Amino acid sequence: MSSGTFIEPADPAQAPAEQLHVAGNHPPSDAVLSVQDLNVSFNTENGLVHAVRGVDFHLMPGKTLGIVGESGSGKSVTSLAIMGLLPPTAEISGSVRLRGRELLGLSDKAMCAYRGNDIAMVFQDPLSSLTPVYTVGTQIIEALTIHNPGMSNQAKEARAVELLAMVGIPSPKNRLKAFPHEFSGGMRQRVMIAIAIANNPRVLIADEPTTALDVTIQAQVLEVLHTAQEETGAAVVMITHDLGVVAGIADDIMVMYAGKPVETGRVDDIYYNPRMPYTMGLLGAVPRVDVAEKSSLVPIDGIPPNLLHTPTGCSFAPRCPLVADACLTGEPPLLPAAGDTGHKAACIKSDELGTDVDALEIFSAPPVPVSRFDSIPRGERATVLELRDVRKHFPLTKGALLKRRIGTVKAVDGLSFDIREGECFSIVGESGSGKTTTLLEIMEFHADQDGEVVIGGISNNRAADAKTKAAMRREMQMVFQDPTGALDPRFTVYEVLAEPLQNAGMDKKAIRKRIMELMKLVGLQPDHVNRFPNQFSGGQRQRVGIARALAVNPKLVVLDEPVSALDVSVQAGVINLLDKLRAELGLSYLMVAHDLSVVRHISNRVAVMYLGKIVEIGEVDRVFDNPRHPYTRALLSAIPVPDPHFERTRERIILKGDLPSPLDAPKGCNFATRCPVFAALPAVKQEKCLTLEPPLEAVRPSPAAQALESQPASSADQKFACFFPDGELDEDMLVVHDTADPHAP
Amino acid sequence: MTNLNAVDPAAVAQDAHLDGADVVIGKSTIIFRRFMRNRTAVAGLAIFLGLTVFSFIGGFFTPWDKETIDPFNIGMPPSGDHYLGTSQAGIDLYAMTVEGTRISIMIGLIVGLVSVLIAAVYGCTMAYFGGKVDRVMLFVLEALIMMPALLVVAVATSGGGDTLKKNLPSWLLLIIVLLVFSWMGTARLIRSLSMSLMQRDFVKAAQYMGVPPRRIVWRHLVPNIGSLLVLDITRGVTGAILAEVAFSFIGIGIKLPDVSLGVLIGGATSQVQTFPWMFWVPLTVMFLLTGSLAMMNDGLRDAFDPSSSSVGRAKKNSAKKAGK
Amino acid sequence: MLRYLAKRGITYVFMIFLTTSAGYFLAVSSLKPALLEQERIPRPTPEQVANSMRLKGLDPELSPWERYVEWLTAIVTRWDWGRSPNGAFINAEFGDRVWISTRLFLASIILTLVIGVALGVYSAARQYKFQDRVITSYSYLAYIVPAPIAYFLVQLGAININETVGERIFFVTGISTPGMAPGWAQFVDMLAHYAVPTIAITLVGWGSYQIAQRQYLLDNVNADFVRTARAKGLTRNQAISRHALRVSFIPVAQSIAFTIPAIFAGGFFAEKIFAWPGVGSWSIDAISLQDVNAATATLAYGSVIFALGAILADFATTLVDPRVRVQ
Repeated sequence: MSSGTFIEPADPAQAPAEQLHVAGNHPPSDAVLSVQDLNVSFNTENGLVHAVRGVDFHLMPGKTLGIVGESGSGKSVTSLAIMGLLPPTAEISGSVRLRGRELLGLSDKAMCAYRGNDIAMVFQDPLSSLTPVYTVGTQIIEALTIHNPGMSNQAKEARAVELLAMVGIPSPKNRLKAFPHEFSGGMRQRVMIAIAIANNPRVLIADEPTTALDVTIQAQVLEVLHTAQEETGAAVVMITHDLGVVAGIADDIMVMYAGKPVETGRVDDIYYNPRMPYTMGLLGAVPRVDVAEKSSLVPIDGIPPNLLHTPTGCSFAPRCPLVADACLTGEPPLLPAAGDTGHKAACIKSDELGTDVDALEIFSAPPVPVSRFDSIPRGERATVLELRDVRKHFPLTKGALLKRRIGTVKAVDGLSFDIREGECFSIVGESGSGKTTTLLEIMEFHADQDGEVVIGGISNNRAADAKTKAAMRREMQMVFQDPTGALDPRFTVYEVLAEPLQNAGMDKKAIRKRIMELMKLVGLQPDHVNRFPNQFSGGQRQRVGIARALAVNPKLVVLDEPVSALDVSVQAGVINLLDKLRAELGLSYLMVAHDLSVVRHISNRVAVMYLGKIVEIGEVDRVFDNPRHPYTRALLSAIPVPDPHFERTRERIILKGDLPSPLDAPKGCNFATRCPVFAALPAVKQEKCLTLEPPLEAVRPSPAAQALESQPASSADQKFACFFPDGELDEDMLVVHDTADPHAP
Repeated sequence: MTNLNAVDPAAVAQDAHLDGADVVIGKSTIIFRRFMRNRTAVAGLAIFLGLTVFSFIGGFFTPWDKETIDPFNIGMPPSGDHYLGTSQAGIDLYAMTVEGTRISIMIGLIVGLVSVLIAAVYGCTMAYFGGKVDRVMLFVLEALIMMPALLVVAVATSGGGDTLKKNLPSWLLLIIVLLVFSWMGTARLIRSLSMSLMQRDFVKAAQYMGVPPRRIVWRHLVPNIGSLLVLDITRGVTGAILAEVAFSFIGIGIKLPDVSLGVLIGGATSQVQTFPWMFWVPLTVMFLLTGSLAMMNDGLRDAFDPSSSSVGRAKKNSAKKAGK
Repeated sequence: MLRYLAKRGITYVFMIFLTTSAGYFLAVSSLKPALLEQERIPRPTPEQVANSMRLKGLDPELSPWERYVEWLTAIVTRWDWGRSPNGAFINAEFGDRVWISTRLFLASIILTLVIGVALGVYSAARQYKFQDRVITSYSYLAYIVPAPIAYFLVQLGAININETVGERIFFVTGISTPGMAPGWAQFVDMLAHYAVPTIAITLVGWGSYQIAQRQYLLDNVNADFVRTARAKGLTRNQAISRHALRVSFIPVAQSIAFTIPAIFAGGFFAEKIFAWPGVGSWSIDAISLQDVNAATATLAYGSVIFALGAILADFATTLVDPRVRVQ
């Protein structure tokens, strides 16, 4: 962040007035947005749902407030209530003042004078948030027309071009006439931001603006938001479930739980000195991409409360490890923690908590499980899965009657790797990199596979008969991304788990016994077997999915984004479970994930894929601590880390543009079009990247590498595919917010 | 609309629903309870059952039948002797209505059930095999949709000296022809639903477990399209009853001496001023029949409507996937 | 775009060929015009009948396949669709009747679509209010009334109006009064003949469009992009009318494919009941007169109408939905 716009939260010489700006009963007169005692409830078929209960905050000009919470915590409802976009059936009380004017109670029409003008919003899902039948230009110009009826058409068009350029859309003039479907998700979110800042709003609300996007695109969009904030000087309310996303950009944080703010304060206070067990749990539940963790994650048991019932005690009490009798009588108010009025927590024990209390201890995180294979060197363990030069090419055809082949999409292009007993191997990459296709190629057992997939010693090329296939199936099972979609809604858990067992030919009695074992194994109550999937929470459903995969005792479990659909607090429990099962049962995992933090936490080895090829592969700590390929470096630098100091000072590589279509990939290195090293190379060397395909080679002890690291690199388990790993990075793609910002005015 | 190819509002709504690709259904008891909570639907069911019972036992309450002529009561309005009056020829309208209702209900039920059965088999086969088989079968299906059903009905029921006609009563012939032209829309719907189900993770999970295809179809596909099948049966029954009435009304469906509601209504049009009861009585029965089915269909659709929370989640996910 | 349409066109031509051929075989094997001839007075000898039939290209002694080849050759080489048992040429008859049918349905098709869509939008905007309930109930009612009965009831109503007024305002049958001098009087006469059938067809037809349009609009009312539009500063109603409405037209445009054939099929009944000598009533008459060639020709016409509807729907969809525009 530019130091001109933002205060330094760590600055000890901070003015006392600025410490007050988060919460307090006396709104500072210069706040652009003051929300006081906001309550929202909905009348549903099941009864009154109290979605938001007593939200208070004051937002100063140019500041950023991060609202953090899991799904159902009321954070989105809060933002919609401020914007006046809730359905008329919602009952809203309290006060929302925009530059001193009360917004609650205004009619839809009266609200329109403010919406899109003084206060604007960016929504979560960029794919559905733009009207599909109008051009992007029309939609931006509409925002201008509404609030500037006198503006000439030329001026509006010029402004629209300016806005598109500001949010980083190349050749903005031509793109005005494009329809939303011609844009990628990241580009659409840029357009959404352009619409939101069209009239220089004083307040910009961003509701999970990057949740649906890839990490590299997320970094771009966050950068655009930052630019937008600088250009307009707007105060920003950033709503997210990801503590990493707001760590670097927020001045203040509000943590919400069950519709209530449970802790508010300056960003550093919240991250380094949390005073509420829920916040502590959340921070401990997120794995970190920048540290080789040797501890388990903090699991928060249970699920968020049902908002139908007004809680009689602390709403977090049922999940809190520190719960005492006093917690159950009366909801604790949001009170200054440790006498600091800028930092408030809704916990009767907040004074006992602080920097020196370890979340791992209070949440009694399980010890790190050790697999019996961990002590055996990798080379001596048996191979459970091996891929040899696997390819999946789709012909791309054009033409009506006579189909011409205009090209080939190389979804997977020459993939080779192996997985040994007891290890977790992960594949990471952006969407479109070929991760999922790789999984499908492994799971489908095509006999006419280009390349070879060897499962438990049997090659798919020889798996023509059903018996061999069945033998291969028993070696390998899969856990899906969406736990809801992966379970037949008409099956009880018992039937779900019985299916693979019946298929394996077990008798009824044995099946029953095995199911009870499985339920215990994955931490579910055995007497819940007669329930239907929709009677479980997301985390529990994923546990059922894991139990099903384990039913027939496979050696290898394929995990397709196993936790990405889950809430943060639930995620930790599932990750810990996966860790435990791998150790106890000696399982191997093949995991596909976009969340590099999760990958780092549970994997032993990792492969980074880009456009169907592995660009870097090796031991996870080596690859993450010392990435050699520029793409790996970019990917890692795009991951936000829940550590405000680190986030503010780190150097970021922001890649330009989206993942190119595989058709446009250059002949040489696929990554050249976006590569930060390539951009800074002299033309002679660029020629090499464009014409020759870099092979996947082991890290050699080059002089530069040796200077950087002390270990002997010759025996290292790390390979990468790049000609110039040590090349200078292009300055345009480097961003550091704390030091001189090239974009700063 | 009577045309079998017409846009059916319920089908349209269901088609729109398919985009969400989510037909999560709870237990059958939940559906039953939800259905019973819908008063209109229960009333519809009661009326329909009542009419069915009436059509079978109604004949025992009158000494007259549909053929006997009462020479003393020709073209008489309703009276104690003839509850609903008599026709120009002196035949008891009550007896004819009982008979006609039975034929109409029978045509409706048979066509509704069998056409959905054909549609399910055809649609699932298309979805299951996919590729070339799917393309050829889809072509046949669309070609059949293009055939104006009415003309074929007319040809089949009026062909002179047709051997078929001699051996079969006209109502059976009509059933056969209606069957041939009534299953295509449902088949297309079932095809697209099955195809989206095939893409669902739980079907994939079963495949990856090595569950044989036949078991997957039987255990995962069929129960999950069950709601659609039930809805389409009630809709098919309504459609068939309406089609019978329409065809018989203009004289190309059921022919005397067979009696149906359509024949009764059609035959009375010329005497609507002189013998109004001959027209309005069967018309009212027809309205009760089709109306009660529509009410039931509405209630069933509500009962099958998936729980909203799971829909929301599935939609979000599919949007995300589409973005990739 | 043109290429795409051309491709669709070729597929449909093939389909029309198949359905028409199938129809011909069905007709040839079940319609026996020779039998009808024998009922004439004085009764002709079988030789006479066979002779007269052979002259008209309806030789009953040839096998269906031979007759099919003959019939198809005539069409392909000379565009000659054959003759009726009474000697009339199908081609000549066809032109007049197509024109009559088209005149009858064109206004109804447009009215059905416009009224249906407009009422759909109106009732969606007033969801669960009185107006919505009345309109939607009507549409469901229209759905459970067989078309011919609805037409007949409209006819009855028109007759009642005529009787109440004591003057003949509406003509409930026929297309015009013969012997009218051209001019204003003829125009009024035409209106009086058109009014009842057009109203009847429209009244029956709009229901399904109203329900579909209402449903699609309601599906879009809470869409994310409507929320975006409101966040820009549009009121809810403005956002719906500018954004949701346009999107909700897409599926309705797709369903045009079914409107045209549906109204055409409804037209069988309409022409029959209002005694318009169009293609629909001709087809039914043709069947009762055992006229193989006429029946097949009307069937081909039905298939062509269906194909036209489908192509028109493709066209309309591309018009409203930029996502399917093909380069």
